[in-house]
Amino acid sequence: MAYPTQDALYDVAHSEVHSNHLLTASGDGSLRLYDVSLTPEFPIATFQEHSREAFACSWNLTSKATFASSSWDGNVKIWNPERQQSLLTLPTHSCTYSTQWSPHTDGMLSAVCSDSHLRVWDLRTPASANNHLILQIPIHSAPFSVSNAMLQPTFPPSEALTHDWNKYRQGVLATAGVDRIIRTFDIRQPKGPLQLLQGHGYAVRKITWSPHLPDLLLSASYDMTCRVWTDGGGDQRKPAAELGNMGRHTEFATGVDWCLFGNEGWAASCGWDERVCVWDVRAFMP
Amino acid sequence: MANQAPNKAQQRLSQVSNHLSSGSHSNALPSGGLGRDALLEKHPDDVVVTCAIRTPFTKGGKGPLRDTMAADLLALTFKNLLSRSKIDPTLVEDIATGCVLAPGGGATEYRAAALVAGFPESTAVRSLNRQCSSGLQACVDIANQIKTGMIEIGIGSGVESMSTQYGPGAVTEFSDLLENHMEAANCKVPMGVLSEQMASDRKVTRDAQDAFAASSYQKALKAQEQGLFDKEIMPVTVQYTDPKTDETKEVTVTKDDGVRPGITAQSLGKIKAAFSKTGTIHAGNASQVSDGAAAVLLMKRSTAERIGQPILGKYITASVVGVPPLLMGIGPWKAIPVALEKAGISKDEVDIYEINEAFASQCVWCLNELGLDEKKVNPKGGAIAFGHPLGCTGARQVGTLLHELRRTGQKIGVTSMCVGTGMGMAAVWVAE
Repeated sequence: MAYPTQDALYDVAHSEVHSNHLLTASGDGSLRLYDVSLTPEFPIATFQEHSREAFACSWNLTSKATFASSSWDGNVKIWNPERQQSLLTLPTHSCTYSTQWSPHTDGMLSAVCSDSHLRVWDLRTPASANNHLILQIPIHSAPFSVSNAMLQPTFPPSEALTHDWNKYRQGVLATAGVDRIIRTFDIRQPKGPLQLLQGHGYAVRKITWSPHLPDLLLSASYDMTCRVWTDGGGDQRKPAAELGNMGRHTEFATGVDWCLFGNEGWAASCGWDERVCVWDVRAFMP
Repeated sequence: MANQAPNKAQQRLSQVSNHLSSGSHSNALPSGGLGRDALLEKHPDDVVVTCAIRTPFTKGGKGPLRDTMAADLLALTFKNLLSRSKIDPTLVEDIATGCVLAPGGGATEYRAAALVAGFPESTAVRSLNRQCSSGLQACVDIANQIKTGMIEIGIGSGVESMSTQYGPGAVTEFSDLLENHMEAANCKVPMGVLSEQMASDRKVTRDAQDAFAASSYQKALKAQEQGLFDKEIMPVTVQYTDPKTDETKEVTVTKDDGVRPGITAQSLGKIKAAFSKTGTIHAGNASQVSDGAAAVLLMKRSTAERIGQPILGKYITASVVGVPPLLMGIGPWKAIPVALEKAGISKDEVDIYEINEAFASQCVWCLNELGLDEKKVNPKGGAIAFGHPLGCTGARQVGTLLHELRRTGQKIGVTSMCVGTGMGMAAVWVAE
């Protein structure tokens, strides 16, 4: 099955309500819903409100009735597939590269932006001037655990390109972007990052937590590698570390995800080399 | 993307290319954690220093430069810079000169000095005054002009003839409006008086000050004996009238005359305090009143390579901060962490700090508060030993720092100073 499109596609999400439905985020700002069981080459629905590139879409994992999109136009939008117009617009006022629903809390979603901030919204909060925004964490802030040394390591703001919610540890998120550092945060302790995972040589374009293990995550980077990391699982005694490095891509690696149904550790990645690599993470862990 | 205007595709491309450039770019803010390595990377658009020289510093009112006007010192320095660097003067687009005491900022005389030195009329000149950081500000301004593409090659410089221009004429009378505002009125409290106050408030003892000052003298003497200033000092030949005999003669000045042997903390301990009977500050633990000029030639790395200029090091970033006017001495303490943060490095990743010794009291306090290793600070001594020609010092430090980093095979340096009326400046440099 292949669908022709008029513009680049930057993200894709499976519908959580219909096994044949697939949602795409497009460079022309549109979100399009396809039914892979139908033959026509056309989407079954098009959602056109974003004025610039729609760079991410995410299906609500808890209530399943809605999905979210984020765009370079500085907005996150919430949609119901049965309605043409968005249900809600959450402004970030900054080019927004990634949005994700919390897998644990219904109505909670997050985004990371060019302005180096992680935003969290809780749609259960009453409508008010702050548009359900409950947290706005500077990603570049000094690590939380560092004691009050004279000069803490400090970081300039840097565009955040990707983030993901941990599937096991409620409230834990990871972010990454142009400054090449993957950071973990706990929204219950929003002062600063818990862990810094460093190693990528260029911007990190995509990160995703393991569906099988609470401490494992995968990343894809402009340095053409995909890497596997542990953040120590929230245990201070276990160090955060890079566990493996998959260097088979010959161009920017822009996407990576885990296989939910095969063996634990199977992954697929894509990149500007016009290839999808299907691999076993364990084969790259020395 | 058939439906897109070409500029939209271009916009998208440039946004994605930002993902790559801003993280690995040395003159942009390097990302944290990779700080030192990122700073040491070489990029074609780095702003580099290819020549950094100065005149010897001599004592205000006494030394052999006492009869030489500031503009003449500057002209001699420019001539020396041209002969040392062998740069084609027609390639220099702008010159900034820091100076504190000159009436009218020296704007007219310095343009004339550039012409005398052999720069063509096409080379622009301006003067500026940010008190004791004027020389650094001049270098930073030129570096920023190069970064933004306004000019390709420029000179940051500084000059001060304290012999001929030091005095009450340098500051206009304060109006009632300023006098009646407390913090504003504090801006004209004399440096010595407020440093004395700061020394007692911040509990910097006379012993600590004298020990620091003696060490400055000892380091400078040793450096002078070993010829460690030879790369930064270029001799100047001037007319000098001996105040005793009234005889005018031509002298060639080759070294700083403030540096003296035999100075110890004990010998300094005997000097009477200058500003109050119970005070701790005296001529021996404060910077010397001096005459001198310094100049730094700056351009992009790509330009330096194209025209065959030798690269001494590069400019990374600078900071300027404000502090209470009465505590102007704490300026470096506030400015240095800001510059380091911009550079993405920690204080321990810096190999040498050149921090101006306006007064031993403020310098000692800043070092202690910042927790700097004393061995890394002013390894060839400082203004207490060889002088502080106000507007010149910032430009002088660049050469002092880069030549010492290169000699010792070290890399990262910081120059910084406190600034009268309550400011601080700092800049990060990398030697190559």
